[in-house]
Amino acid sequence: MAPSRPNRRLLKKPIKIEDKLRNTEKKVEEKKESFDLTVETLPSEVINAFGNSADIKMIEGIISERNVKILFLESMVDSTSLKETTSKFLSSISPIGEYLKNIDELSAYCKGIFGGASYKIVSSKDESIHEIINGSVVIVVEHIDKALAVNIMNGEKRSVAEPTSQTVIRGPKDAFIESISTNVSLIRRRIRNKNLRFEQYTIGEDTQTTVYLGFFKGIANEAIIQEVRNRLKKIKVSAIFESGNIEELIADKTFTLFPLALNTERPDTVAANLMEGKMVILIDGTPFALIVPAVFVNFFESPEDYYQSFFLGSFLRMIRYLSFMIALLTPSIYVGVLTYHHELLPTTLLLSVIAQREGIPFPAVVEVLVMEITFEILREAGVRMPRVVGQMVSIVGALVIGQAAAEAGIISNIMIIIVSITAIANFVSPIYSFATASRLLRFLLIFFAAILGLYGVLLVLVAMVAHLAALRSFGVPYLAPIAPFIIEDQKDVFVRFPFWNMKKRPKYIRSESEQKVFSASPPSPSSMKGGNTS
Amino acid sequence: MKIEKENISLSQLLTLLINFLLGSAIVVGVGGDAKNDAWLAILLGGLIGIGIITFFHFFIYRFPDKNMFQVFEFCIGRKITIVCTLIYIVYYLYISSRVIRDFGELMATAILPNSPIEMMSLTFCLLMGYILYLGIEVLARTSEIFTPYLFGFFLLLAIFLFASGSLEFKQLQPILGEGVMPVIKTAFTELAFFPYGEMIAFSVIYASLTNKKYSLRVSIVGVGTATLILSVSAILMIVSLGADSVARSNFPLLSTARLVSIGNFIERLDALVVFIIMLGVFIKGSLFFYAGLKGLEYIFKLPYRYFAIPISMIISLFSILVSVDFADHIQEGIKMVPYYLHFPFQVVLPLILFLLVMWKQRKIKSKRKGEQDGTEQTKSSFIKETNKN
Repeated sequence: MAPSRPNRRLLKKPIKIEDKLRNTEKKVEEKKESFDLTVETLPSEVINAFGNSADIKMIEGIISERNVKILFLESMVDSTSLKETTSKFLSSISPIGEYLKNIDELSAYCKGIFGGASYKIVSSKDESIHEIINGSVVIVVEHIDKALAVNIMNGEKRSVAEPTSQTVIRGPKDAFIESISTNVSLIRRRIRNKNLRFEQYTIGEDTQTTVYLGFFKGIANEAIIQEVRNRLKKIKVSAIFESGNIEELIADKTFTLFPLALNTERPDTVAANLMEGKMVILIDGTPFALIVPAVFVNFFESPEDYYQSFFLGSFLRMIRYLSFMIALLTPSIYVGVLTYHHELLPTTLLLSVIAQREGIPFPAVVEVLVMEITFEILREAGVRMPRVVGQMVSIVGALVIGQAAAEAGIISNIMIIIVSITAIANFVSPIYSFATASRLLRFLLIFFAAILGLYGVLLVLVAMVAHLAALRSFGVPYLAPIAPFIIEDQKDVFVRFPFWNMKKRPKYIRSESEQKVFSASPPSPSSMKGGNTS
Repeated sequence: MKIEKENISLSQLLTLLINFLLGSAIVVGVGGDAKNDAWLAILLGGLIGIGIITFFHFFIYRFPDKNMFQVFEFCIGRKITIVCTLIYIVYYLYISSRVIRDFGELMATAILPNSPIEMMSLTFCLLMGYILYLGIEVLARTSEIFTPYLFGFFLLLAIFLFASGSLEFKQLQPILGEGVMPVIKTAFTELAFFPYGEMIAFSVIYASLTNKKYSLRVSIVGVGTATLILSVSAILMIVSLGADSVARSNFPLLSTARLVSIGNFIERLDALVVFIIMLGVFIKGSLFFYAGLKGLEYIFKLPYRYFAIPISMIISLFSILVSVDFADHIQEGIKMVPYYLHFPFQVVLPLILFLLVMWKQRKIKSKRKGEQDGTEQTKSSFIKETNKN
């Protein structure tokens, strides 16, 4: 089984280097003892393996009459530290040179020169290629059959900035960036505990992307961690670039409109979720982290719920549920009522609606579809268009499509209200990817409202709830604290209870240790009562 | 073949029971024969219902992990059971299509008068098929989510009716004007079979319950709650429409909701009522459907999900074919179904089987007593026999 499958894969690939790399990998495994690592052969072989790519560079030098060659990828190493390293290494005219008999002495010698940078001793061509790809310089010295890899990867990254897609008024203002090490440090700084663990995975056969799985040992459920590990290990794809790629590959079900993993660019959200017993997946090269398992109600939680007073937090949360329903249902109810159930409207309202629609040539469903699709086009244009012409969309959208269309008698004024309330309600969702559900389901609902009225809307709603009830996120039922109903978890679903009252972690995550609040009583100033008598 | 084990929690059982009992009973209204004492008849019927559920419970819990058909097998062997199961499947699917017909008639006459009833029936059955394809767990969770809304809407309806001043409590009088006989007669001849006796469909559900310790208590609470809601809705209908109009109306709850009018703004709460009705009908139809599917699963030894969509289409077809029109449908429901279907399937067969089970278990017990000194092997073989799945 093993020999046939990789060969078939390789046949399809145009890249020859990979081919060679894998073949040599096999060879190394077969005869481990033979070293192909000499100062004469290794550099040329490595350069050949890279296909003489423009950014692979070699520096040659001589220390105490021995040839030294230094290999690196110009694009991956930091140029200042490279200059420092090579000049230090090569210029050290030495009596030391005589002692450089073996690799241990070489590495001990280098420690003195490079200080705290990370080292690795490599003993084969493939290892050195791997290290070079990851931003190391590989130093080969004559007569020593191993090489030294010193990591001086360039730290080019943007600085930590404010989150762009998940903003808060009160709360931390830092967001993840594209560098995974910075992201880990942002989390680690919030949870200074030895039990916060990160496991490294390399995913993407060709891109070799670094992925971290983080969890809090002792809180997160071991079985779920193991499940996440297994799914990450199972991924066999060529390339991984964004959290969305991973999400689709590890989710329990792909044919659903609802996201089964929470994505966030806020380190405080990640930290809070880790402390609830969830896991985080960080991917190098993207500011978005995945939080698993994620259930339906998590997508209505904003970190701010916990920073503001719990009255406001609860109120905002209910507003979010309400606006989800509005975004989902308003257009279809409009269509249903106007097409089939006039009698449901109070007479005066009905009269005003009918009067407005008097000159409109379309049935309600066409009117709604035209406007909804127009709005979707406007929205997509607003996201994609160059910032320079950004003002255009709002002017064209608001004036031409809105007011003018109504005045021209193509659509009714009430239709504009419906579309705009739907659009605004759709933007309330704290996690952007969740809004896609209501955005797309809306069209299905409009369709059923047009053929079956409110009965059709109800049918689709029941089907939607059933679909949600059948979903699972890493084994956790997607509608978890609501169905199956868990009474203890209701303190943090539709409302948020005060902190001192939320003593337990959510049950549905099956946390290893449930206690969250250790002092059981509400804060009270009883000791201060009656002045300072004692 | 591996039939997967599904789990249903106690709260889910509760909501299923409540929705099941409200089901079509709230569409067509029950206890009409007792005139303005209908609510009393329903309360009495509720007591009978508690008795019925206790009996089923007692029966089915002799084998906690077996559903009804597997209990049959224990009594009468697989071959005869297959025949029995086939009959039961037809019964369950027939009742399911009757329930769908109730709802279809409601939709076609009251809500969407210009749409053909076939369309309602088809879409509704497709939905049921989809949900049962997803599994009974999903059905249970769905009912768990919608039930709070049901209570909320029912409460709203009551408040609005009260607020719009259309309630005349005098209409309840005279209480027991014609003696207790009509009440007792209605309770025992009508309500005992419909809706309470229909709880026999739950005999396939108890096996998937996770917490069996409190299941009897929860079932009784469920029957009690549903009875209360039915009774309150009967009172609402009587005091707003009057007993005569209730008797004449096809869908009394809907007619009641149309009386609501507050400040010329909150009017015509048909949508609320249709929601209450639709959820109940949906759960009831699906549970009968599920019971039938479980029977098919027993016969063919295939997971019931395979049958869900095709059988849903059969139900859809038969919900149209069962009767020519609504009057025929109701007539059948009152005159034929209780005596020729409900009575044998809800009372006679279960009772016979219950006696058989008692007899057989006693026989095994005494046999075991006789072989007390026998080897360990016989003992374990007995355990195997009783626990055989």
